[in-house]
Amino acid sequence: MTTCDEIEADKPSEQPGLIRLVLFFVMQGVAVILVGFAALFLSFEPVWSAEHLPANYLKPGDARSGSLLIKNEEGYADASRLGIDVDLTVSGPTVRARVTQIFRNPTTDWVEAIYVYPLPSGGAVDTLKMVIGDRVVVGDIKERQQAKIIYEQAKQNGQKAALTEQERPNIFTNSVANIGPGETVLVQIEYQEPVAQSGNEFSLRVPMVVAPRYNPAPVVQSVDFRADGGGWGSAKSDPVPDRNRISPDVLDPATNAPVNPTRITVRLQAGFPLGEIKSHHHAIKTEKADANTSNIRLAEGPVPADRDFELTWKPVAEKAPSVGLFRERVGDSDYLLAFVTPPSVEQAQQKPLPREVIFVIDNSGSMGGVSIIQAKASLIYALGRLQPNDRFNVIRFDHTMDVLFPSAVPADGEHIGRATSFVGGLQANGGTEMVPAMRAALSDNAGDANYVRQVIFLTDGAIGNEQQLFETINALRGRSRIFMVGIGSAPNTYLMTRAAELGRGTFTYIGSVEQVEERMRGLFAKLENPAVTNLTAKFSHAATDITPVAIPDVYRDEPLVLAAKLDKLAGSVEIKGRIGDRPWVVTLPLANAAEGKGLSKLWARRKIADAEVARTTRQASPDDADRTILALALEHQLVTRLTSLVAVDKTPSRPEGEPLKVAELPINLPAGWDFEKVFGERPRAPVTPTERRANADEARVQIAALKRVQPVATQAPSTVTLPRTATDAELKMIAGVILLTFSLILLVFNRHRRQMSLR
Amino acid sequence: MPRFILPLLLALAGLILFGQGAYIHAKALVAQVLLERAFEQTIATGRETKPWSWADTWPVARIEVKRIDARAIVLAGSSGQALAFGPGHVEGTPDAGERGVAVYSAHRDTHFAFLKNVVVGDEINVMRSDGKQFHYRVDATSVVRFDASGIDPLTDEYQLVLSTCWPFDALAQGPERYLVHATMLGDAPSSR
Repeated sequence: MTTCDEIEADKPSEQPGLIRLVLFFVMQGVAVILVGFAALFLSFEPVWSAEHLPANYLKPGDARSGSLLIKNEEGYADASRLGIDVDLTVSGPTVRARVTQIFRNPTTDWVEAIYVYPLPSGGAVDTLKMVIGDRVVVGDIKERQQAKIIYEQAKQNGQKAALTEQERPNIFTNSVANIGPGETVLVQIEYQEPVAQSGNEFSLRVPMVVAPRYNPAPVVQSVDFRADGGGWGSAKSDPVPDRNRISPDVLDPATNAPVNPTRITVRLQAGFPLGEIKSHHHAIKTEKADANTSNIRLAEGPVPADRDFELTWKPVAEKAPSVGLFRERVGDSDYLLAFVTPPSVEQAQQKPLPREVIFVIDNSGSMGGVSIIQAKASLIYALGRLQPNDRFNVIRFDHTMDVLFPSAVPADGEHIGRATSFVGGLQANGGTEMVPAMRAALSDNAGDANYVRQVIFLTDGAIGNEQQLFETINALRGRSRIFMVGIGSAPNTYLMTRAAELGRGTFTYIGSVEQVEERMRGLFAKLENPAVTNLTAKFSHAATDITPVAIPDVYRDEPLVLAAKLDKLAGSVEIKGRIGDRPWVVTLPLANAAEGKGLSKLWARRKIADAEVARTTRQASPDDADRTILALALEHQLVTRLTSLVAVDKTPSRPEGEPLKVAELPINLPAGWDFEKVFGERPRAPVTPTERRANADEARVQIAALKRVQPVATQAPSTVTLPRTATDAELKMIAGVILLTFSLILLVFNRHRRQMSLR
Repeated sequence: MPRFILPLLLALAGLILFGQGAYIHAKALVAQVLLERAFEQTIATGRETKPWSWADTWPVARIEVKRIDARAIVLAGSSGQALAFGPGHVEGTPDAGERGVAVYSAHRDTHFAFLKNVVVGDEINVMRSDGKQFHYRVDATSVVRFDASGIDPLTDEYQLVLSTCWPFDALAQGPERYLVHATMLGDAPSSR
């Protein structure tokens, strides 16, 4: 019957034919609308998935360009890889380091590799060599812009080229252009560094990874959608203008094997019979060549570059030499490096002044994992060391800040107890707004001259706006002295040393929980004993250029380190100062100085650091400081903020027309860090003011006035994620109406056909 | 008759879909009435009052834009369930009247459909469940991505943000949000 119907229905007839034509068009219209809806759904599908998938490549100062995103999509699985070999030679007071980076390109493309890596902040980088097969190309020092132009030119021409640039005194970037498919290029840099000494112990530190930095958001980001923002574009400059250059991609250790295998060997020629040699974070094998010399290498072969290498050594003798004097002749000048450890004089006559100690603890996300444990243990140890007549306060900060007591309180049992439980309850989370915390610590309203004011600042220093912090310290330090405690496996040594220098204090590193007690005891020896003050150095015969010009105070067990450029090596140098209330003088005859290596570079590096400090403290105009830096850097062949090393292979290797791909080499997350705390997408703001208030101790105060000076209005990590606020009500209703219409049409159509078949 | 089955099935599906859509709107409307009652009671008794016995949320504030005669009762939390009944107070942001940015969020086609009529200069009144009133003036509107709102809930200002999906007339859900920024009028309260 149905078949019959259809046959009949297909029969052409004049009048109903018109109706059918109309119906056909209506149906077609409906179908088009339906298809349109389906398309609408499909086109929104990717948007939805974007909403569900957190962007995993997010970084603190994220501002990626399109080209880099393309690279991200390809992933690093087959991108260039890197091996690192660190070869250190310690000769008495100095370390000569040769860092070889092996860039291997396993892909079939021509690649430009870019690697961001750390070096000691006091290191003087003076050599760049590029090794291709058996050819060695030696780099030249050039002004930064000029070096960049030379490099870009070579890159365009298809020549192999290497460029070493300084981003911070302890962060450098190597770029290597035109690594052919399957090729390996070695880039070697060398630097000179003084050995560090503290009491009986000598040490060196090789940073291996640039820890992810928190870069405060520029203020313009927060105002650009405001209607009232007249001229916001120029309102405030970015606190970290070079954020992209210091934020390489960091691999999530949960999903990636460690990269950048590193070998370390040390040839230790201490210049005195060696006693205990200790590596604090890596297993080592030590071979004693003779009494004064040892060869050290990593016990278990290459290690991932994810934590600092720290080596300390002690002399066999009970006491380390308290004086060291070394000389080097370069050109027609003599350079002198002097280490003098003032004696520990007990203060018999008078009791030391009571102290007002302000503890500042960083509980930002970068401190997550073991760092916060170390920091809390250190701070709780320090609280236990306070004397009853001392006063203290505790400040904690991430991108927010709390000051425990409204002002410093006596260190009695009750207050210490309250502070201990406050510190014990801290969690690591959020951004790192260090400047407001430093301001709060330096706000010295009591002004009681009977107290010695000391700020103990515990942080990993993982920020990109170091300069802002330095300016804050310089402007507000007053009578306070700042003691930096660098926490974790890869602290920012530049921030620690420079902040301590500007704050006229000293710095300590704590890289593991085991080190907490020993290092904090050392720090308290410095805090509790009078410093050596009013230090001056006078040369009897020679005309000299001494650095540092104003010799900083020296704390217990620390040596005074002086570098000088002399016109002739004659006579003696007399160093004078006061240890507490006693005068102290020592005279060193220059003729006794031993031959040293690379002292001119160390002197120049130290002079450059002085010029940078003078620039920060406004003692020199920026232009003057830059001129000084540039002249020193060019004369002594050093990489600085203003100069770079560039090496270009004369023969072009990349055939014309072959494209060149950029590979920014990823780095490891520093050991002990918590990836999610730093990069994790937090669906909600981590802490709310209400919750914090609810948990807070009653005595805890949030000092609003202090928060208000915060220079940054918006922090990326604390932004609010807005909920989904669209219903599918309308969509459903429209779809419903369409279906209803459609069924109605079908009904009409069917009836019509039935009528026709009945006819 | 088999020829009727297809149209009837289609009609049924259409009715169900339409009903579901209408239900969302009806729920939004009815819930507000119940919420209004619960809110009055909360203010009167000072206790959190649930609008209906099985509710997993409670009213925390009433927002009102007098000029366009729009009002809504805000619920605690911004989960999907809560948003079906009224605007939600986004977790992790302070209460209205506190220092920081209070963020309220609601569906663009129900409770916050009126946001498209709110213009800069409008006054928004917020009454909290503890009976305190705060007045805000709209000073900006913006469109942002849901995960890049740029709102720092811990800022030092006393601000309010109303958020809903953007664009208003779209049918599907998207990543963009429309924000109305308002700043508290008069001096910040010294309640804390």
